[in-house]
This record gives sequence, C-alpha cells and structure tokens, in this order.
Amino acid sequence: MPRRGWVTAASRAVTVLGVVALIGVLPWLSGRSPELSILRARSAEQEATPEALAAIRAELGLDAGPLGLLGHWLSGLLRGDLGTSWISGGPVGPGLIEALGVSVTLMTAALLVALATAALLCWPPLHRVARGERGRTGGAVGAALTALPEFLLASVLLLVGAVWLGWFQPFGWTGPSSVVLPALAMGLPAGGLIGRLVADGLTVTGTERWVPTWQVAGASAGQLSRALVRRTLPALTTQVALVLVGLTGGAVAVEQVFAVPGLGRAVLGAASAQDLPTLQAGMLLLLGVSAVFGGLAALTRALLLGRALRSGSVPVPARTTPSRRRDWLLPAGAAGLLVVVVAAGLGRDPLASAHPRLAAPSVALPFGADASGRDLLARVAHGAVQTVGTATLVVLATLVVGVLVGLLPRASVGPVEVANAAPPVIVGVLVAAALGTSQAGAALAVALVAWAPIAAYVAAASEEVRRQRHVTVLPVLGVGPAAVTWRHVVPAVLPAAARNAVLRLPGIALALAALGFLGLGATPPAPEWGLLLAEGMPYVERAPWAVLAPTAALVTTSVLAVSLSGLSRRPRRPAGPVAVPAGTTAPSPEQPAAVG
Amino acid sequence: MSGPVDGPVLTAAGIERGYPLPRRRPWGPRTTVAALRGVDLRVAAGERVGLVGTSGSGKSTLLRCLLALESPDRGTVTVAGRAVRPGSTASLRWYRRLVQYVPQDPAGSLDPRSTVRELVSVPLRHLQVPGDHAAAVTTALTRVGLDPDLAGRRPGELSGGQAQRVALARALAPEPVLLLADEPVSGLDLPVRDQVVEVLADLSARQGLGLLLVSHDLAVVARLCDRTVVLADGLVVEEGPTADLLTRPAHPRTRDLLDAVPTLPA
Repeated sequence: MPRRGWVTAASRAVTVLGVVALIGVLPWLSGRSPELSILRARSAEQEATPEALAAIRAELGLDAGPLGLLGHWLSGLLRGDLGTSWISGGPVGPGLIEALGVSVTLMTAALLVALATAALLCWPPLHRVARGERGRTGGAVGAALTALPEFLLASVLLLVGAVWLGWFQPFGWTGPSSVVLPALAMGLPAGGLIGRLVADGLTVTGTERWVPTWQVAGASAGQLSRALVRRTLPALTTQVALVLVGLTGGAVAVEQVFAVPGLGRAVLGAASAQDLPTLQAGMLLLLGVSAVFGGLAALTRALLLGRALRSGSVPVPARTTPSRRRDWLLPAGAAGLLVVVVAAGLGRDPLASAHPRLAAPSVALPFGADASGRDLLARVAHGAVQTVGTATLVVLATLVVGVLVGLLPRASVGPVEVANAAPPVIVGVLVAAALGTSQAGAALAVALVAWAPIAAYVAAASEEVRRQRHVTVLPVLGVGPAAVTWRHVVPAVLPAAARNAVLRLPGIALALAALGFLGLGATPPAPEWGLLLAEGMPYVERAPWAVLAPTAALVTTSVLAVSLSGLSRRPRRPAGPVAVPAGTTAPSPEQPAAVG
Repeated sequence: MSGPVDGPVLTAAGIERGYPLPRRRPWGPRTTVAALRGVDLRVAAGERVGLVGTSGSGKSTLLRCLLALESPDRGTVTVAGRAVRPGSTASLRWYRRLVQYVPQDPAGSLDPRSTVRELVSVPLRHLQVPGDHAAAVTTALTRVGLDPDLAGRRPGELSGGQAQRVALARALAPEPVLLLADEPVSGLDLPVRDQVVEVLADLSARQGLGLLLVSHDLAVVARLCDRTVVLADGLVVEEGPTADLLTRPAHPRTRDLLDAVPTLPA
C-alpha cells in the first residue's frame, strides 16, 4: 500500500536526521566549556580574559542554543569544514580523513577474512544437503568460538600471535604485517556470525519440498548447490548487512587494542579527551561507512530478488529446526561453570590489596592476584554479580521498550533499523561524550541498542497474531483497535518476547564488558570484567593469569550467549488447536510426483 | 430482538473496488485489477439470499465492503436507511448490532485462551448491548442448540460442530436482524456440516433472521436460501429464486457453476 510505504520511508528519514542532529548538538548536551583549553592550545601567552573566552564561545556558536549550534555545525559541513579541535585548536578534517583511509583498509581486510570464514563454515552443510542428506547445523562449538566479541578476540590474538609466538608486531600501523592480527580480530567474529546464519539457512532450505524434486529430476550436486545458495541468501542479506555495519563498532575495540591509528581509535580518544568536534566528525564518517555497507546490502538483495521484492512475495526463511535436548547441554554447562566461580569467589574481598603484586595462582589464590595485589577470583566473582545485575536491569528496560515500540511496526522501522545496526560501542562513545563515563552510562548505551531486536521480534509476532482468524474477526464484533492490541495481541506476544529478552542477557553482559574494557563504562576500582581485562593487559607477559581469569569468564559467557541465541530462534509451539485448511490432502501413493 | 426493520435491511448500490498490482518495473506504470465492477444487491428483512461464484469472482471483496471493513471506490452501502462506511469503532456500533458475521472457518475464529462465556460476551460488551449479558449468553447458546453448561469450556475442549455453533452464538448474541456468513460450512466433514446447516435453517426459517450466505456449495445454498445471486468477474450476472436458478440457469457462468457440482457415477 502506498500510504504504508510513506510511513516507513518517513520513519527512516526522520531517524537518520535525528541521529545527525543528535551528533550536531553533542557540545550542548555535554554542557562543557571548552574555551579555556582552546585558548591555551592556540597560544600560551594570551591572557584568559572574559572577553577572549567569550570571543571563542561566539566563534564556536556555543551560546546560540542547540538549534543555533546545529545550524553552525551543518553550515560548516556544507563548506567542507569538519570543525576545529578543542584540544589542538586546529582543523579536525585532515587527520580524520587519514584515519578513515586506515580504517577502510582494515575493514576491507577484515571483510575478506569474514567471507573466507563464512565460506568455510557453510561448506559442510551445503555439501551434505546437496548430496541429499538431511543437513544438520554442525560445528556449534567452533561457531561459538568464532563469535567471541572483538575486544576479547583481539586481546587473545595479541597474546598468542604477537607476545607468545612473536610472529606479528603487537602495536602500530607500519606495513602489511600489522594488518593481519587486527583483520583477524574483526573478521573472524563477523565471518563466524555470517557463516552460522547462512549454514542454518541452508539446512532449513534443504528440507524444502523442491529439493527432492530436483534430485529426482537428475539435477547435479553443483546445480543444486547453486540453487540452494540462491534460495537462501536473499532472506539473509539484511542480517548480513547488520553484521557488516557492526564492523564499525569492532573497529573501535580492535584499533584500540592494537594501537592502529584509525577512525575508531580517533573517536574513542576524542571521547575520553572530551574533544567533541573530532568526535562529531568521526561519528559522521563512521555513519557514512555504515550507510555504504547498508546500501551495498540493499543493492545485493534487489539484484538477487528482482521482481519478487516489489510483488511482496519475498521468500521468508522458515525455521523448522526442532529443538533437541542436547542443544541445552552447552549453555547449561557454561552457566554451571559461571555459577561455580561466583559461589567460590563471592565470600572473598575483591577490593583489598592483601596479596603480593601479580602473585601466581596457588591453592589459596586459585586465579592469582592482579597488579595491585587483589584477589582475582574475588574480582571475577563480584564482577559477574555486578555485570549480571546491570544486564538484568537492561533486559527489563529493553523488554518494556521493545514491546511498546514493536506494536507500531511501520512507524518504528527507522528507529529499529538504526538501533539494530548501531554497534553498542559506538553508542557507548556518544553517551560517554554527552554524560561522562559511568556504569549507568554504559547500561544506557547498551539499552539504547538492545531494545531493537525485541521490537523487531514483537513487530513480526504481532503481525502474525493480527492475521490469525480469531483476531481478524474482532472488528466485526465491535472490538476497537486499542482493545485488540492490549487484550488480544500483547498477551499472545508477551511470553515469547520475555523469553527472547532473557536469552539475550549474556550478550548484553558482554556488551557491558566491552564498554568497560574501552574505558567507557565502570570506573576503577570496580571489579567489572571488561575493566579487569584492560587492567591485566599491560602485564600480559609477566603475569598471563591477570588476563586469563577475566578472559576465561568472558569466553564462557560468549559460549552461553551464542548457544542461547541459537535456541531463541527456534519456533514456538502454536498456542492452540491448529485448524487444517480446507483442501489440504495427504499425498497418496496413487498420485506419482510429477517429474519434469 | 431488535425492532422490526421495514423495507430492505441492506442495500448495496453500484459498488466498485479495484486493487493495485505490483509494478512490473520500478518505473513502470501502476496497474489495477477490478475486483468489483458495479454490484447492486438488496436483502429484505428476514430474507435469505445466497451469493455464489467461483473464486476470484469478487465475493470476498463484496463481503468486506458490506462489513465496512473496506471502502468501495464507488457506490454506497446502506443499512436500514443509514449509510455504512469504514470508520471509528463507536460510529459503527449501531450497524454491528444490526448486522453480524460468521467468518470462514468459524472454529478458527475463537481465541483458544478464552472460555465460551467470554467468547460469546465479546460483542455484547464491546457493542455496549444493554441488558443482562450472562442471560444473553445463555439465550444465544440455547438458540444454536448448545447446552449452556458448555460456557466454562475453552475451544480446545469442544468438538468441531460445537465450536462452529459457539461462533454462531457469538454472532447472534447482540440479536442482529441480518447474518452475513462466509462459507460457514466449507472444510467441515459431512455430519458436522449438516448439523450447522440445520442450525442455520432453524434460525433463518423459524426465528426470522435474515441471511446472506456466501458459498460455492450449491447444495447448501439450495437448502438455505430463497433467492440466489450469481457473481462473476466482479459483476452480478444472474439472480432469481434459488429453485428456478438451479433448474433453469440462464447465464453461461451459472451453468458452469452447476456443471462443477460433483455427482457420483450411476
């Protein structure tokens, strides 16, 4: 319907403009007064008279209020002026363009790694299905390991590839060899995720009825493989695009770990130094990179689907993989391990420096001690409680917001798409710039993006409920739209939405840890996991246990997150008796299948 | 019962409705397909009318226009002298009390989580029907031949025939003067189908309820309807007393429909 199309398009446009405007008014939101530092940066001699400071404020448009500030910023952008640094006093444009070049090189390399990883993961299921075997989504453990968050994988790769093996240089950007580890750290998780999505899709496509028809008709394994891929990919392009846009978030963490002078590190540095013009321009460039990835995905989808896209008959991936009891083994094992660690460490003191610095693990100190002589077991256990507590609050917030927004499927398209695509790290940088760094800020940043999958789920599920016959009949019985929504749609959708939200808890905990690791969340001496890892990194050669304890906890949580997210995608049991549609007949042996 | 309505209960005049087709190319012209091309229909008080036609003839679109779920591009629907068009829930309450609806697959139209009592009282509550709702539920269940003791059960605990009759009772609860029924017995096995047809016959013939029955099943139409209207390609091609129409069809499309009725070989 044309009207619906307009609502969707307007929703997208308003959201993108809103994000740009938000970036534009960041200096006003943060309420900081940068004039003194700018004056000092420009000249050491000039006296900080009220007149001189006011002149700088006027020059930056800081006293014009949010709208004037936005206009000042936008008109500068149109003239090609990305702004003036609050730290150095110089223009931010040239340095950031250079950083963009570094980041694009890194992202391209990471993309190649991702495609290779995805192809490796998809090959076995494709091979099985094309040979006519019932494909099974395989390699759950391998897939779980490739789905580690980037900051964690980057730390592990740095530890193994640069420190222990000494094959690659640990820091900087000097030549082709410095691309390898960062590209692996960004590409492996992305490729693992894409590979898992496509492998699942291929397995499900393999159960469709046309596959045996083709086999009986004598299609070769190669022809069948091509058809399977062509049938599976269109439905997944949107999700693959999200993974690629997520590379921009990965870039922040990975560039920080390997000290790569790219856009992500520049943005992070600007956020911690409160250099908002650099942050604004960097964000805008990252947004542009995301838009390019999104546009490429939309183009691919249009080319793969052609007319089917406009006629509305887009193939929807059917999820029919049955849930097996052994699917619960991995998450149950990971959760059990975490519970044991928490139980063992909760009674110990996480803050007292009561042990020798960097003491090695022993019976009295099972995980060793950190650089301040604090008990790592106690810190990991208390960190788990703090992280899980925060994550639980975030989950509740996302459930409420997700359900409310998901009930307006067309108007919420834009916000859902942007929040879905926005990496938590990027949002964390923005929140930290506006509000300063704190655990609450990190929780807000994660909540700002984590509601989107719930909203998307509620939107899809409520559309499905609204199409059920016992709901379509309600208007004729005099039930108004509000009553249909609150008395019939919400009660039907809420239980599954809540389950979906709870299963995302470990993922949210990891996102919080990533922000803590980058210095955008909890502040020392809090025993937050990401912070523990960041604190241990400088001592990785002398005392690897300072890194190993939080790494092990985070890896276990990743395994939990990935194995649970697999379960959340399984179909729900229908809520009531299913009526057999008129005209369906069981296939009878008298009617041989027509083979062309 | 609502007060007697003089003259035609429901009149549709010159109904036209088209749907846009997807463009062949993104920049190509937008084309529409006409589902209804000027349909006139009248149902008098207490009259029983059959609306027949093959799939794609426009039956469902006409029904959606008559139920004020969809707006015709041209033409008007009038009920008891008042125009009916899609609008707010409150503005259509009077209409929904006069004209009720039994959907296709009535059993599937029952929320599996509600009890029979809750299901049947939905229109009473939302249409703000005055009076004792508990008593009205019992009356409605009795009218369709159901034991009022079933009121505490949920749809999953009912037989197919009972579920169909609960859907009928729900439509009858606000005591409408006209019932629009969309293929109410298709997809049912024969004994259940006969039960529901008997209930409908009892309601319309003996209790004075008007009936507009949409069906492709000519046997059901012959059993229930005095007059039959044949719809083909969005137009009324033939109408008349059901007996005449079935024995001496004048229009080729009516003959096609009759020829399609399966008969057992002798």
